[in-house]
Amino acid sequence: MREERHPGQVKIVCEDITKIFIQKGKQRVHVLDHISLDVKENEFVVILGPGQSGKSTLLRIIAGLETPTEGHVLIDGQEVEGPGPERGLVFQGYMLFAWKTVLGNVEMGPKLLGVPKKERREIAAHYIHLVGLDGFENHYPHQLSGGMKQRVGIARAYANNPKVMLLDEPFGQLDAQTRLFMEMETERIWQTEKRTVLFVTNNIDEAIILGDRIVTMTDKLPGRMGPVYNVNIERPREPTDMRVLKMRHEITEASKLIL
Amino acid sequence: MILRNRWFLYGVSMLAFFLVWDRAAVARVFSSGLPRPYEVVLHLWSMMIDPLAGKSLLGHIWASTQRILIGFTIASLVAVPLGLMMALNRYVNAIVKPLFDLLKPMPPLAWISIAILWFGIGETSKVFIIIIGTFVPCLLDAYNGVRLVEPELYDVIRMLGGKRRHEIIQVCFPAAFPAIFAGLQIALSIAWSCVLAAELVSARSGLGFIIIKGMNLSRPAMIVSGMVVIALVAWGMSQLVSGLERHVCPWKREIEGL
Repeated sequence: MREERHPGQVKIVCEDITKIFIQKGKQRVHVLDHISLDVKENEFVVILGPGQSGKSTLLRIIAGLETPTEGHVLIDGQEVEGPGPERGLVFQGYMLFAWKTVLGNVEMGPKLLGVPKKERREIAAHYIHLVGLDGFENHYPHQLSGGMKQRVGIARAYANNPKVMLLDEPFGQLDAQTRLFMEMETERIWQTEKRTVLFVTNNIDEAIILGDRIVTMTDKLPGRMGPVYNVNIERPREPTDMRVLKMRHEITEASKLIL
Repeated sequence: MILRNRWFLYGVSMLAFFLVWDRAAVARVFSSGLPRPYEVVLHLWSMMIDPLAGKSLLGHIWASTQRILIGFTIASLVAVPLGLMMALNRYVNAIVKPLFDLLKPMPPLAWISIAILWFGIGETSKVFIIIIGTFVPCLLDAYNGVRLVEPELYDVIRMLGGKRRHEIIQVCFPAAFPAIFAGLQIALSIAWSCVLAAELVSARSGLGFIIIKGMNLSRPAMIVSGMVVIALVAWGMSQLVSGLERHVCPWKREIEGL
């Protein structure tokens, strides 16, 4: 099964990434320490770590929004030198354009890339349907619930047809029930339109339910990589499945973290 | 339940106000300084028909409104783009900001005497005062509107393949619109204060002129008439700006009440 899904082609390569922020007053904050990570094509990798472990910074470096102090990121062998539409980013705080409707938000990517109006409307309609927001095309973000807002965020990131999807704690602001539901939706969307996914979270259940592979981060700065786990449980996974619970126990024991 | 009906409660509140006003006038709380409400209505009606200093009431309303429209338009057309440019370009900011910070704390009315010396007692000095007064909130709110944009929204544009100009057109301007309109509203109310002050000092027309004339003639009904008309016209103009805002920013949540 795994071999079929991942023909083995490496999509994202993080080579020896170190990040040191220099703040005002010349104070150095060492955030990431020698992180190396390969992600295969169409693989769903979860980066699991507590708050302040540098995991979001790692994602922003892969997105091209931050430059690493040392090391580099390759996508399809090409070095990442800045943000770009071949990577879709979903934000923790949704970051929707309040002045645009759902349709306007989702079609923004194709619009910026110069796709003609008729064509980008079709693209937007396709992804709005994919995330289950049919009928909400003309709603403004403030008229939507948190879960629906993040559906828009996911559709907007998908609309440029990126090779890689980067999700930065996308469901961190949702209540537990909505969160679990959105995890199931993420699974469904990913199964429908496979992409290479890097998903950052601090929620261990979310990591086990969604990940092909879980990369843990240590709990103090500078962030270092902890143990890596392959999740060999067939999808879709239930949070109460014995194998999920067993894995939860295993990861918690090993990481000494309260997750 | 009629007591829960909003319009009923509005009616009760207004009725109580006019009743207290009327009783206070009859009881001569301010000796002869407070006219009864119906006297004000009668006076308004008489001013519609009998001209004062060659102008009917509508003429005076138009005199004040015209000054505000000219001053307010000039100030907002210059100050809003300047505020946006200051927020977007640090060189523009570095050149304009010290000057602006120097002039900002000065109350606009402090300019009245020098304005009359410079431009005489005609229209120019009144428009000048309005420009001075409205320039500050227009510029400040445009500037703050841009500076307070969530920086991650620019990240979204960059991730989606946009360039710097897209960040400005797609994020900066629309995100700053509500703040710009807040500035315009504040500017409008300042404009009314400015035009009144200027008309009280020297004018042959306008609503401030009606008020000062009423004081000189010891006719409280005339003064209160001027006050009522100012409130109505200023309210109307503020509604127009709100309407424009709803048209330009349809995404903005409606705020109930004030």
